[in-house]
Amino acid sequence: MKKALLKDSLKEIKNTYKRFISILLMAFLGVGFFAGLRAAAPDMVDTIDEFYDKQNVYDIQIISTLGLTGEDIEELSKIENVENVYGSYETDGKIKIENKEIIAKIITLSGVNNPILLEGRLPQNAEECLVEENFLKANNKKIGDKVVLDIQKTTNDDGEEIDVLKNKELTITGTIKSPLYISRDRGSSNLGAGKIDYYMYVTSDNIYPTDIYTNIYISIKDAKKYTTSSEKYEDYIEEVKQDIEQIKEQRENKRQEALIQKAQNKVNEAENELNTQKSDGQSQIDEATQKIEDAKLELQNAEEELNQKSNETNRQFAQAETEIQNAKNLLIESKQTLEQNENNANQKIEELENQKIELQKSLNQINSELDETNKNYNLILELLKNEELTEEQKAIYEAQKTELEKQITTLTQTKAEIEEKIEKIDAGISSIKQELETAKSTLETQNIALTQKEEEYNSAKQSAYSQIEQARIKIDNSKQEIASSETELNEKKQEFDEKIEDAEEKLLDAKEKILEIEKPTWYVLDRNGNVGYANFIQDTKSVENISNVFPIVFFIVAALISLTSMTRMVEEQRSQLGILKALGYNSFQITQKYIIYASCACIIGGFLGMCVGFVLLPKILWSLYGMMYQISDNICISFNFKYGTIGLILICVCILGATIYTVWKELKNDPAVLMRPKAPKSGNRVFLEKIQFIWKKLNFSSKVTVRNLFRYKKRFYMTIIGILGCTALILTGFGIKDSVTKILPNQFEKVFCYDMQITMKNSLSLEEKQAFIEEINKDNRIEKIAEVYMTSGEVANNDNLEEVQIIIPEEEQSLDEIININNVKTHEKVSLKENQICLTDKAAQLLEVKQGDSIILKESDDKEIEIKISDIVENYVNHYVFMSKSTYETLYEETYNSNVLLIKNVELSDEKKDELATDIISKKEVAAFTDISSFAGTIGDMMTLLNYVVIILIVSAGLLAFVVLYNLANVNISERIRELATIKVLGFYDKEVYDYVTRETVILTIIGIILGLGAGYLLNAYILGTCEINILRFTKTIDFMSYIYAAGLTIIFTVIVNIVTYFSLKRINMIESLKSVE
Amino acid sequence: MPYIEFKNVGKKYKMGEVTIDALVNTNFEIEKGELVVIVGPSGAGKTTTLNILGGMDSVTSGKVIVDGKDVSNLKGKELIKYRREDIGFVFQFYNLVQNLTAKENVELATQICKNSLDPEDVLSKVGLSNRKNNFPSQLSGGEQQRVAIARAIAKNPKLLLCDEPTGALDYKTGKQILKLLQDTCRKERMTVLIITHNTAIAPMADKVIYFKNGMAERVEINQNPTPVENIEW
Repeated sequence: MKKALLKDSLKEIKNTYKRFISILLMAFLGVGFFAGLRAAAPDMVDTIDEFYDKQNVYDIQIISTLGLTGEDIEELSKIENVENVYGSYETDGKIKIENKEIIAKIITLSGVNNPILLEGRLPQNAEECLVEENFLKANNKKIGDKVVLDIQKTTNDDGEEIDVLKNKELTITGTIKSPLYISRDRGSSNLGAGKIDYYMYVTSDNIYPTDIYTNIYISIKDAKKYTTSSEKYEDYIEEVKQDIEQIKEQRENKRQEALIQKAQNKVNEAENELNTQKSDGQSQIDEATQKIEDAKLELQNAEEELNQKSNETNRQFAQAETEIQNAKNLLIESKQTLEQNENNANQKIEELENQKIELQKSLNQINSELDETNKNYNLILELLKNEELTEEQKAIYEAQKTELEKQITTLTQTKAEIEEKIEKIDAGISSIKQELETAKSTLETQNIALTQKEEEYNSAKQSAYSQIEQARIKIDNSKQEIASSETELNEKKQEFDEKIEDAEEKLLDAKEKILEIEKPTWYVLDRNGNVGYANFIQDTKSVENISNVFPIVFFIVAALISLTSMTRMVEEQRSQLGILKALGYNSFQITQKYIIYASCACIIGGFLGMCVGFVLLPKILWSLYGMMYQISDNICISFNFKYGTIGLILICVCILGATIYTVWKELKNDPAVLMRPKAPKSGNRVFLEKIQFIWKKLNFSSKVTVRNLFRYKKRFYMTIIGILGCTALILTGFGIKDSVTKILPNQFEKVFCYDMQITMKNSLSLEEKQAFIEEINKDNRIEKIAEVYMTSGEVANNDNLEEVQIIIPEEEQSLDEIININNVKTHEKVSLKENQICLTDKAAQLLEVKQGDSIILKESDDKEIEIKISDIVENYVNHYVFMSKSTYETLYEETYNSNVLLIKNVELSDEKKDELATDIISKKEVAAFTDISSFAGTIGDMMTLLNYVVIILIVSAGLLAFVVLYNLANVNISERIRELATIKVLGFYDKEVYDYVTRETVILTIIGIILGLGAGYLLNAYILGTCEINILRFTKTIDFMSYIYAAGLTIIFTVIVNIVTYFSLKRINMIESLKSVE
Repeated sequence: MPYIEFKNVGKKYKMGEVTIDALVNTNFEIEKGELVVIVGPSGAGKTTTLNILGGMDSVTSGKVIVDGKDVSNLKGKELIKYRREDIGFVFQFYNLVQNLTAKENVELATQICKNSLDPEDVLSKVGLSNRKNNFPSQLSGGEQQRVAIARAIAKNPKLLLCDEPTGALDYKTGKQILKLLQDTCRKERMTVLIITHNTAIAPMADKVIYFKNGMAERVEINQNPTPVENIEW
């Protein structure tokens, strides 16, 4: 190379540094974007790879439905290339903090998936634990605080309930982040509201169950050498996975056998015990029965005896009574006799009385006579006493006296006689009376004796009978006693029977359960089984897909811009080209200058772009992703030579190509032609002028604008393409956002309208299930229930295979308002047809099938069935197959047994919803519970990420638009500087000059925007097509507002550039107009 | 009172640390309807004078009066207005807009003036009525300069400034252009100022101003200007 030329080249750069910088900037942007974006995804993967290697994250994980054993570990260790096998115990627990209930995943520190210690120290004993940083923040705890775990007991292999943790009160010793949970999603739980809030690590010696594990983690020899998720890594892991799959069945069987054996032993034991208990109980009952029988017999004898006795007594008493009666009769007779005698005696007495009265009368007479006599006597005596009395007198008197005395004696005599007689009568009476009295008293005595006797008899009778009565009462009591002990016995018997029955039933159950001990299923998962990891890798794939498309737009624009700039430069230096050519330099030598110029710009710009791109873009992306993933604060930035070189080569090809093309085009001319000023681009009539009626209507400036539009064709295309690209990119950005944000509403409002999904336990009987459904149905918080059978399966067509969820409703109508099965094209509801299925749209696309085609449907039991697709139905997340109950029953020859309830609840506040969720989870029939909103949340997180990508797109598109427009505006001005200076001299106001120039730009921008919106629609569809995650269906419609935003943003960029242009125009020196054409 | 008056006009350019005096205390007067030719060697201050008169540059000191109005202190919009309404400019390299036809180039000027003339009339006056729909590239240099003159005249300006109007033209065509300018001045009573380094054409003017070292060194008035046809160089 000639020294002068090199010098000239370098001088040129110095002189036209603006142009140089603009080309450099394009190279910078092009390479930077390409390399940076392309490197971002590998860098992200590298970062997680390094993180995973450092934390010794598993390569293969095995989960079994029935736990894993030490024996499994041993067997797995024997597999080729298996480096380490770690058994780990993981469980869910509740932590109560104040009135919050937190669900935590408890993981053991087992040397694999090591968490990174952020603060504090590792636990040293079984009383310590590690928690997430957020746990401390959110719950106002600090290191050193204690948490109390509430963990459901687990059943060991012997079927006994045992604790999971030895210590449930744990001291927090530090905070960590776990490589198993890099996303915010912590998975689901059967506890609480069904969602795990935090994870925590405990030491393995805190785990109670020994030699049984919930998870086995395997690290593969040399797997760390490969980058995770790379094809090599996946293939390598797949090999080992295959080997594991081979021993899988054997291990599953072994486990089943072992469990059955243990259960069988237990059953046998229980059976024996039951039997002995049974016989023991029976003999006890027999004994008791015998006792009662004996007592009964004794009682009977006693009763008989009593009866006999009572009869005897009765008889005796009867006899006695007769005797008494006889005696009574006799007594009555005697009485009668007595009465007669009495009457007789009374008669006699009366007679005697009468006599007596007669006698009395006589007596009385005598008495009176006596009295008279006595009186007379006394008178005589008196007279005699009188001395005066003569003796005569005296003698008379004496005589008289003797007379009287004689009389008195006689009277006294008679009187005595009468009195004797009276006495005799009285004696007679009294003797009669005496006699009567005696008879009476005898009778009385007799009577008394009889009464006494009777009394005696009665009392004897009474006592005898009371004795009998007492005996009877005694017997009755005994009888009652016997009866009660009999009922007691019966009760006991019943109880015993029941117990035995229960025990028997239990035994039967246990026996049945043995039969039910299913073969456990091993799930052999690789890292993709980890939701966070899988999401992350999926995200890196999205970034990669986007990085495939977007830089291309940049390249195209960069190439076009450089082309314009270089063309302008070459044109400006036409005469110099001519001079050099005239001096005898050959084309190659002349071109060298421009090649040096352009390649300097390319290489410097490219390298700068790489430096910035490789660092900045991955970093920006990483900081955005960092909000979603907890991996590492810094992304592993690598100088990705491959992408850098590709980018550089591409940009060099674009820019140098454009340069060489322009130079060579000019150099075709003779030196003389070159040295003469290039004839200005001649004006041309444009097509529009031919349509006179339009042309005539245009005002002058419009005409000028139209002419100018077509005059600078290169600029015309350039501007349009630039604006188009920018608009398309922005629109795509918004379009992706629209699609992504619409997925959830589409899926969970348009297709799945239910709120909760309950998986019922398999073990429920039909009645139990019915009762449970009834119960749920009664809850007034629940609006609607659909009973379905949900199972996973696979659909296949040729070599394409997709995993699907098969949903078979109990009743098709019940799905109304729960799941809308709508045709994807017509959006009309379809019904499930006999012996056909409805397949969701994305699955159909992936399988390359359409309505009416047949596919292979494989349910989990490996039975393959070829079936026709009746309809392709609308769906946005995951793949589903819908099938009618009868179809299922005919195809699988199995009885339909629903296992899932889809529930739509009435409008509830979040709190109420949680309450409802907790209520449902606590029911024993529930095996699993999913709140759709939490499911939606996981996907939502994924979407948020894509949103960041969108922001990057919009910003970069804006940047691009700005560069393009600015560059074009500059070229436009510099190319037309004379013209512009002239019209300024002509007296155009600044505004008019501005309009004169920018009217074109505005029109071109509008055209560019319109075309860009169209292109954006296509680009959006393409990008969504390429970065669509397999399980998602993006809607490819872009919101009307997004078109507005895209157009609006482009307009804003245009306006900004135009404002800059306005000032550039203002600065144009009119003296330029006086210069000669170069 | 003269129609145009330069009073002690000075103009300094700062080129980095060096200050160049482009005009030093320049004075001259032009009457309405005069054809004035300014001649002088390169760097004498002709173009600066033209720029100042054309409203493209400002003075450092002194006053410029055009039709009784001081234009030396106009700023921004007023200056543009002055250019727009009072000045017609004819460039050495015609400076036609390539993308516009002859007529449209004239219209470009007329559309912004209030008292503009009809473009077609003006074009026929410069003898181009039959080429009015041609693009500049389809016209010869002379024809292009005629279009440029037509564009300047059509504005009906107070002053027609011509910067080396024949500089890019051959002798014959140059003469035709000068003739056109002279005729315009005579017929339309237009004040015309021609700047040239070619002293040979000085006799055609009513007044010749000789510039030297940034000063109007000498003003000569031709009582009987020579018709252009009679000038030879």
